[in-house]
Amino acid sequence: MIDFEPTEEQTLMVTAVSQLAEKLRGAIRRTEEERGLSEETRKTAFEMGLGGAVSVPESHGGAGLGLVTAVLLDEALAAGDPAAPFALGGPGAFASAIAELGTAEQASAWITRLSAHDRCGAVAWSEARPNRTRPGLSALATKDGDAWVLRGEKAFVLNADRADAFVVFAQVDEAKGWSGVGAFVVDAKADGVRVGARKSTLGLDAVGACDVTLEGVRITNDDRLLGGDEFTKAALRFFVKEGLKVASRAVGLSQSAVDIALEYVSNRRAFGKPIGHFQAVAFTLADRAIDIDGARGLLRRAASLWDAFAAGTAQERDALLTSAYAIAASLEGAMRAGDDAVQLHGGAGFMRDYPVEKLMRDAKQLALCVMTKEQADQLAAAIELDMPLDPALVLPTPDLQAVFT
Amino acid sequence: MTIEFSLTKRQEELRGMIRSFAKNVIRPQSLAWDRAHGIPEDFLMRFTQMAAAAGGSAGAWGIQGLGASADESAPKPDAADKKKKSAMVNTVIAAEELATGDPALLLCLPGPGLGGPPVRGSGTPEQKERFFSIFRDMSAGLKWGAYALTEPGAGSDVAGIRTSCRKDGKAWVLDGRKCFITNGARASWNVVFATIDPALGRAGHRAFVVEKGTPGFSVGKIEDKMGLRASETAELVFDECRVPEENLLGGEERYQTKEGFMTAMKTFDNTRPLVAAMAIGIGRAAYEYARDFVKENYVLSRPIPRYAAIAERLARVGRELAAARITTWRAAWLADQEVANAKEASMAKAAGGQAAIRACFEAIEICGAHGTIAEEHQLLEKWFRDIKVYDIFEGTGQIQRIVISKRLMPDLKSF
Repeated sequence: MIDFEPTEEQTLMVTAVSQLAEKLRGAIRRTEEERGLSEETRKTAFEMGLGGAVSVPESHGGAGLGLVTAVLLDEALAAGDPAAPFALGGPGAFASAIAELGTAEQASAWITRLSAHDRCGAVAWSEARPNRTRPGLSALATKDGDAWVLRGEKAFVLNADRADAFVVFAQVDEAKGWSGVGAFVVDAKADGVRVGARKSTLGLDAVGACDVTLEGVRITNDDRLLGGDEFTKAALRFFVKEGLKVASRAVGLSQSAVDIALEYVSNRRAFGKPIGHFQAVAFTLADRAIDIDGARGLLRRAASLWDAFAAGTAQERDALLTSAYAIAASLEGAMRAGDDAVQLHGGAGFMRDYPVEKLMRDAKQLALCVMTKEQADQLAAAIELDMPLDPALVLPTPDLQAVFT
Repeated sequence: MTIEFSLTKRQEELRGMIRSFAKNVIRPQSLAWDRAHGIPEDFLMRFTQMAAAAGGSAGAWGIQGLGASADESAPKPDAADKKKKSAMVNTVIAAEELATGDPALLLCLPGPGLGGPPVRGSGTPEQKERFFSIFRDMSAGLKWGAYALTEPGAGSDVAGIRTSCRKDGKAWVLDGRKCFITNGARASWNVVFATIDPALGRAGHRAFVVEKGTPGFSVGKIEDKMGLRASETAELVFDECRVPEENLLGGEERYQTKEGFMTAMKTFDNTRPLVAAMAIGIGRAAYEYARDFVKENYVLSRPIPRYAAIAERLARVGRELAAARITTWRAAWLADQEVANAKEASMAKAAGGQAAIRACFEAIEICGAHGTIAEEHQLLEKWFRDIKVYDIFEGTGQIQRIVISKRLMPDLKSF
């Protein structure tokens, strides 16, 4: 049954999160300067249930509220500060990765461990450069008796500076290319884990991004994540579902950019009237409103398909395809909304007195988190053309475009 | 209530039935209809009968308000059942499917057509009975209603119509011309908008039901169009046309306010999502044709250097259609919930038309020269011709943006 209305419980949660978002919007420059959310904000958010494992099933240590709820909350929070959903306490993207790739025992043990406002998890997937000698990741996992030894350099790892644990992707079989990738849980305090200095980034200032170097880190076999029957499929599910959350943040950003621009053009006067009267201005905002409506609808539809897939009532193919559409539409929409919001402010938009320049920077960086528009388009086309879901083609590999995770 | 987008079993069945009918029965005849400038009446008759038989009423095909059904006696859901209403959602689902077969068919369906909503919304009980009853039994011959608003000098600017009306005894006398009227020539009656005084703007508007054969009413030229050639588009001429006063829609007192103009506009809040859905259907047909062409000719047989470029184009087209569809569903869903949806209806219309135009353009480019050839099972060039008007009729893309802008910035007066 087609229904666009959230449940009462979801509406209550979104209302509460929107109030927090309003505060974050007022503090957006301070958050930027301090390069992080305040301890108090993290605590408040955590008490509201925004611990990062909202959509993870209860059997895996999460809140079990489903992906629809997760994208509703992320959108509402990101409308205040697009970086905030990344910078909360709790396991975050780590939870999504371990829930998809690990067993219920592995997931619930680690997620429980990291579920506190001052704990944090991270995912180390990307590498700074593509491997020039063979397909696949350069970071290696080699077997040593019952254990694994990890060596290599990971890049663009969000929250690495404060993470207590990582899901690390590394090559377990060099002969198998992108099908030879494996995943491991690595304690940040383990010998040989070195987190690099926090990078200075274009946007999303509230969350840190660092390189992570693994110098012979020993992992027991218990901490290898096998990804169920098919590792590549499980990895793809992680990227796509986490990509949907990023996309919902992009929609929150778009809405915020349009709202700010609407207020500006309703007050700023030129040629004797508010500039919103001019069609060149009004139609630009109408187009962005159309973008938002489509992206938001796709996003919710994709999330509901994943929830239905988990319940056994939808096909994975449909969930993947709609997600790919939703991700590309949301990211592209946010880049346009950020750009137009600055443009409609004229010279003022370029000044840090107004928030729109930050939203424009945030939008560009969001579009490089987890899964890009280009990667989502490749995935959609592969599905529609009935091509095999070759990991080299459909995973966000550094061969195509490096992403933040 | 909860956010979900799965179709009910009944909607699935409806969609599956129309989908296969559109593909196997309608599409193979589409090009011939286009060339003949019309759809044979016996096909329309059979189609109408079949739709009625399939669902008990044509409403089951979800195309009421558009053509096939004039059934005023259809049971109305009571208030407690409000949350479950899905008439408009069913309509847009069905319209998308039918349009994949042939978009002109929907416009050619017998019934009150676009004339239905204003009569339903503004007519007196006596008028509703009189004008809708002719559609109840069409076994002796098909009948149409139509909607005549546009004039040579007033299209988007509806308030600028010049067709005049003046009271003379027990009749109104109409003078002027209407153009681009779908089914206007064959209609048993047209809802015609005229003005008592152009200086009054919208307040001067009156809506009449002008019946075929009314003295002073005649049909001008039938337009020769770029696309949708199987649909009749007529010019209507009113020369001292005497319309009986009982055909003034809603009666005299209705026009003491701005109701007249609102009568014209209300029609669009429900038809825009429908038109958007039709556009999406055409766009989808073109997209699927190009996708399958690529699949058959490039992907399986050899490595494709063009793959990345083609993949990007296909993905963009598929995505824009999917986004427009969800916006259209939302506009329809709001109508079913009886929530004001003017902004959403316009967003759907703007997004649907644009996405579908892009789909038809890209599909031809992807297929290369092959895409321009017209054959029974290869209709890209026809869809390319058909689709353009979807960003024009029922309000141009620019008019939709004005409607949206007004709702985004309610404090501002002009755009």
